[in-house]
Amino acid sequence: EAAFLARSGGAGGLAQWVLVELQGEVEPRQSGGLAGSLLGDLHYTREGVPVLIVGHHILYGKVVQLEKPFAVLVKRGAGESGPAGPHTHYTVTALIKTKLLFKTRPKPIITNVPKKV
Amino acid sequence: SLVIRGEKDEQAVLCSKDKTYDMKRADTSNMLLFIPGCKTPEELNADQASCDIIHSQIAGFSNNYWELRRCRPKLKKLRKLLMEDPYDGPDSRKDQTLTFSKYTTEDLLSLIQASEEEILHQLQVIDACKIEGYWRILEFDYEMKLLNHVTQLIDSESWSLSEVPLRTCLEELGSLEPREMIEHILLSYGRKYTDDAGEVYFEMHEDKICRAIAQMLLQNAVKFNLSEFQEVWQQSVPEGMTARLDQLKGLALVDKTSRPETIFLLKVEDLPEDNQERFNSLFRIREKWTEVDITPYIQDLCAEKQTVGALLTKYARSSMQNGVKVYNSRRPIS
Repeated sequence: EAAFLARSGGAGGLAQWVLVELQGEVEPRQSGGLAGSLLGDLHYTREGVPVLIVGHHILYGKVVQLEKPFAVLVKRGAGESGPAGPHTHYTVTALIKTKLLFKTRPKPIITNVPKKV
Repeated sequence: SLVIRGEKDEQAVLCSKDKTYDMKRADTSNMLLFIPGCKTPEELNADQASCDIIHSQIAGFSNNYWELRRCRPKLKKLRKLLMEDPYDGPDSRKDQTLTFSKYTTEDLLSLIQASEEEILHQLQVIDACKIEGYWRILEFDYEMKLLNHVTQLIDSESWSLSEVPLRTCLEELGSLEPREMIEHILLSYGRKYTDDAGEVYFEMHEDKICRAIAQMLLQNAVKFNLSEFQEVWQQSVPEGMTARLDQLKGLALVDKTSRPETIFLLKVEDLPEDNQERFNSLFRIREKWTEVDITPYIQDLCAEKQTVGALLTKYARSSMQNGVKVYNSRRPIS
């Protein structure tokens, strides 16, 4: 049995995606899954340090160039294979050469600091 | 493009046009989010245009991924498949309607866990040929019969071993065997070249011919008295060729501890493909090996840039015996 991987059509090279790596898990605030929900805001400081704000937490990360880049594969045409050969195809949709790694503990953002009385 | 190959009972490999990679699943406790079009700090700096909010969608997330590691192509199965129905000539007494274990290139590409180039190269190495669109290996006896026709003709025509003309071979032997088979045996045991006049010649491989004749002699018994074997062997090879023991690397093993010394058939292609299993079977055959003796039987296990020495360090333990370094198994072999 064989499955084929092919570059997706389109002009120019492959799309470049970015990986965001978080420690632990991300859970939706409400029940109902993650799809369609807002994760948070991504900022970069002037020094290029990525900052992620999720809910009322703030995470500091770093930009890492991947030693071994990733290829993103999308499965297509999974079905019965016929006499012409296998029909399962994986299309290389994008390459990932960079990741934003967030491994420090999220800090809660305290917005209301009472004035000293 | 790339292909993932493997049957249900095999571990999947990924193949490019000419390389093969093991696929291993790696799990991480971290969460990996992939974001198309997400910009890195450098890209944003370069694009001074605006400070607007960019709405990006997370395409997906995962906590595992596939890791690829280059590996040796898994080619032992190729020989196994082709040996299911070796070709033994047009006058075959085999009932051709009974077995249908024949493989086209396409069949092999879907069954063998190796890249196309690695498969095609191996087909050449094992002297397979295409007959009626199917890849076939010759039955050894038939192969020897063909080789014998050629060596006898070389002898009767007093040709130089490096100037064997294709045309005359086809003319003289064409009535005995199919022309494609005559040409195939010349290609298997010789180097083809064309002279200035455009005539095709073959330079015969002395070592390969002597080796085949040794196999023919050795396969008839469990083992042979070494000196008797060497005598018969030299008498059996074509005029002008010298039979030498170093031609038999990976084919036969000499037992220097027996009195008298003996020799027996041991073909590397009959041994397991997996590294640990290969060493286990070698140590079952003989408890202690010198590096010289074991090298032909583990050479093919070397990965890109790996040496025989590295393999021995990993899979064997060394000790000194009578002033000679020998290797034995790291653990007891059943």
